[in-house]
Amino acid sequence: MARYIARRVAWMVVLLLVVSAVTFLIFYSLPSADPATLRAGRTASPQLVQQIREHLGLDRPIYTQYWLYMKQVVLHFDFGFSYQNSAPVRQQIVDRLPATLSLTAGAVVIWLAVGLPVGILSALRRRRLSDRLAMGASLVAISAPVYWLGLISLYLFASDIGRFPVFPGAGSYRPLTDDPGKWLGSLVLPWLVLAASFAAFYARLLRANLLETMGEDYIRTARAKGLPERQVVLNHGVRAAITPVVTVLGLDIGILLGGAILTERVFNIPGIGRLAYDAIQHSDLPVIQGTVLFGAFFIVFANLVVDVVYAFLDPRVRYA
Amino acid sequence: MTTRLRGAVASTASVVACASILAACGSSSQNGSAGGNAETKPVAGQKKGGALKVQSAEGFAHLDPGSSYFQLDYEVVYAVHRPLYSFKPEDPANPVPDLAAAAPQVSADDKTVTVKIRSGVRYSPPVDREVTSADVKYAIERGFNPNVANGYAPSYFGAIEGADKAKGGPISGIQTPDDTTIVFKLTKPFAATMAGALTLPLSAPVPKDYIESKKLDEKSPSGYDSDPTKQAFTGPYVIAKYAAGKSLSLARNSNWDPKTDYRPAYLDAVTWTVGADPNVAGRQILTGTHQVNGDTPAAPIVKLGATKRKDQISFTPLGNRYVSLNTKLAPFDDVNVRKAAIAATDRVAMQLTRGGPIAGQIATHFLAPGAPGFEEAGGAKGPGADFLANPRGDMKVAAKYLKLAGHASGKFSGPPITMIGDNADPAAKAAQVTLQNLKNLGFKVKFRSVSHETVHTKYCDVPAQKVQVCADVGWLPDFPDGYAWLYPTFNGAAIQPENNVNWSQFNDPKVNAAMDRAQAETQPAARAKAWGEVDRMITEQAAAIPFLWDNVPNIQSKDVQGVIARWNAAYDLSFTSLK
Repeated sequence: MARYIARRVAWMVVLLLVVSAVTFLIFYSLPSADPATLRAGRTASPQLVQQIREHLGLDRPIYTQYWLYMKQVVLHFDFGFSYQNSAPVRQQIVDRLPATLSLTAGAVVIWLAVGLPVGILSALRRRRLSDRLAMGASLVAISAPVYWLGLISLYLFASDIGRFPVFPGAGSYRPLTDDPGKWLGSLVLPWLVLAASFAAFYARLLRANLLETMGEDYIRTARAKGLPERQVVLNHGVRAAITPVVTVLGLDIGILLGGAILTERVFNIPGIGRLAYDAIQHSDLPVIQGTVLFGAFFIVFANLVVDVVYAFLDPRVRYA
Repeated sequence: MTTRLRGAVASTASVVACASILAACGSSSQNGSAGGNAETKPVAGQKKGGALKVQSAEGFAHLDPGSSYFQLDYEVVYAVHRPLYSFKPEDPANPVPDLAAAAPQVSADDKTVTVKIRSGVRYSPPVDREVTSADVKYAIERGFNPNVANGYAPSYFGAIEGADKAKGGPISGIQTPDDTTIVFKLTKPFAATMAGALTLPLSAPVPKDYIESKKLDEKSPSGYDSDPTKQAFTGPYVIAKYAAGKSLSLARNSNWDPKTDYRPAYLDAVTWTVGADPNVAGRQILTGTHQVNGDTPAAPIVKLGATKRKDQISFTPLGNRYVSLNTKLAPFDDVNVRKAAIAATDRVAMQLTRGGPIAGQIATHFLAPGAPGFEEAGGAKGPGADFLANPRGDMKVAAKYLKLAGHASGKFSGPPITMIGDNADPAAKAAQVTLQNLKNLGFKVKFRSVSHETVHTKYCDVPAQKVQVCADVGWLPDFPDGYAWLYPTFNGAAIQPENNVNWSQFNDPKVNAAMDRAQAETQPAARAKAWGEVDRMITEQAAAIPFLWDNVPNIQSKDVQGVIARWNAAYDLSFTSLK
């Protein structure tokens, strides 16, 4: 197992290098804005623009820029300065990580707490009214765009602009360390909105997998042995059916830690996603690069965790 | 909400802006004729105290007075720093002494500016000491430091003796004979124009001893910019907290003496939240308390305000908009083709793409209402050219000019042209209208739609790209003067290989010479007349298609006595109060 993990970590490093290189290439090959002229302002002389270009290192060949950037990242964990607001990228990412972690963690708990039981019950009550209602509702939840759902929830339930003012609205986010009560209150709506489509998708996924698993020979054997139905379902059925769900969960957590852009935007939560969105809007390469690397890291890391968890979930999986 | 860079007007504002500065503009905005009734002038008996919340979608770019250049940044910078001159909120045409003690003295040869600064102005802690003229000298000198990288210093302060080689060190042409006097010696007659630029934040004092002891300017970017809480403030407020892209807090400056300032500074504190969704934030402001917008509200919010909450919305003129036609390249190197293109343009449709009449007045020339020289250039009616007579467009006039250009059928019969436009509304819609107008005239157009920043930094601002039409450009002057309006955008000498804002690459020797004459005028009335004449000449030469003098919408909660700084078309935090 240790060798397997070491190999995966090595691949993770390679993958992050590839991601960073591709981000650089995309930025320079697509017709994006010139950061030096954006920084200089409209009436700046070409000499000043050139000075800024030199100061930002933008006059050097792309491979040199990439090399210098990666050297700073690897040796000093320094992601440079934002072209847009001059603030250090590392500081901005670190500042915003708690908000994204809070948003992701709460949403994951909600969608697992709702999606998994609904999926199991729907599979066990296949084609009954409760199954049809649950699957119908899940279809609606999957189809509703997060941005739209966020706005609707605010217009209905936000304490400032809602028809039924129940929860704190957009811009109310407070860090957990500042005020736990306000932190919790400010995240209720974003958690529900973000979790809605995921819960629906997980319910449908688990239902489909469980239906297939419950038809397997070893389930029949377990029943024939006289095991209680609850034990058959949970220990034999769900345990086997849940492995694809774990795979998807790992990826989803990784992606969300890289930033839940729309949810953060609608609810004005200062997280990684909003930082990335703003950076893209302003062709702010150091911030784009930093947020992409963070997102990629979380996705790859989550994949690794999922693979390790597999070994515990499924006795057939062994890593050499 | 969007942020506007001084100079070029951003494209994505839902309803954006005309420039400056005058009474005609102001009256319409203040009285709500454009759809808003909010009283946004200072009124008697405004309440002192309380905290205001400002919401914006965009974050601040540069809060260092040495590099600040965005409308959004100015809202904060002018509340925490005191340049030599600034504008009272209701009068964007006439700068008043701020750190200065009196109006600038311009020498008869237009080559020297002398300014006396007032005594008793102190820096905020930890600097604490009184401001001297040497601090103003240092502030302007550091603007030439590449780590500070002021964008406009070479344009407006480049004529100071020794500035051409400045890199942040002493400039010989800035002299301080005593602690309250600063003298600018210029290499050419430019003093009247440079005096106008002393309203820019670069003239706000910066303590050299403090900067050097903290080594703030030795890094790129300067620590004075990356952490603005470290700045030495002279305005009524200080930046108490700042998180880039997230939030900012202003608190009172304990060393600010109201006896030295015209600002009332009613509010005790300001909290600024960045990153708000414009639709959500707009509703929060309109239905909530103690809130105003920081950048342009979303179009649905403007519509809501203009129809149902008129007492909470105002419109302020600021800037112009036009379609640039590349006068260096065929077919627009022919004035008759340019006149035809203007005649064929449906400027009412262009206005509609930005929201109709509330977005601003249909332009008939380039100086906007209120700008010095506007009336002299023809006022709202314009100079009377037939190709601008019908705002709906006139295909007969267009055909006449195309025939004069050698297209016998009255339709353009030449090779395809290249046009660049924004990919985000409302500029994207304006590009579609322009495209259709040109097609109606027979043009075959190769159209490329890209992001706003890309439009400028990759295409329209780079003459080597040989773009023939830029579908939606605009200008916001740095200070209220014809020079700041017309020189960068229509003088041949201002054409640059990159970062070029003379988008039409207009280079007419007669117009250039008229600009030189206008720039040399030191008396305001004669200067306004001269710049008005320049504007008339540019319009008659069909240098571009003017289509709008912008209005900027601003919204406020019911319990806010908002005061708009009309020179910036945004709330003046030093005058706004709670009810």
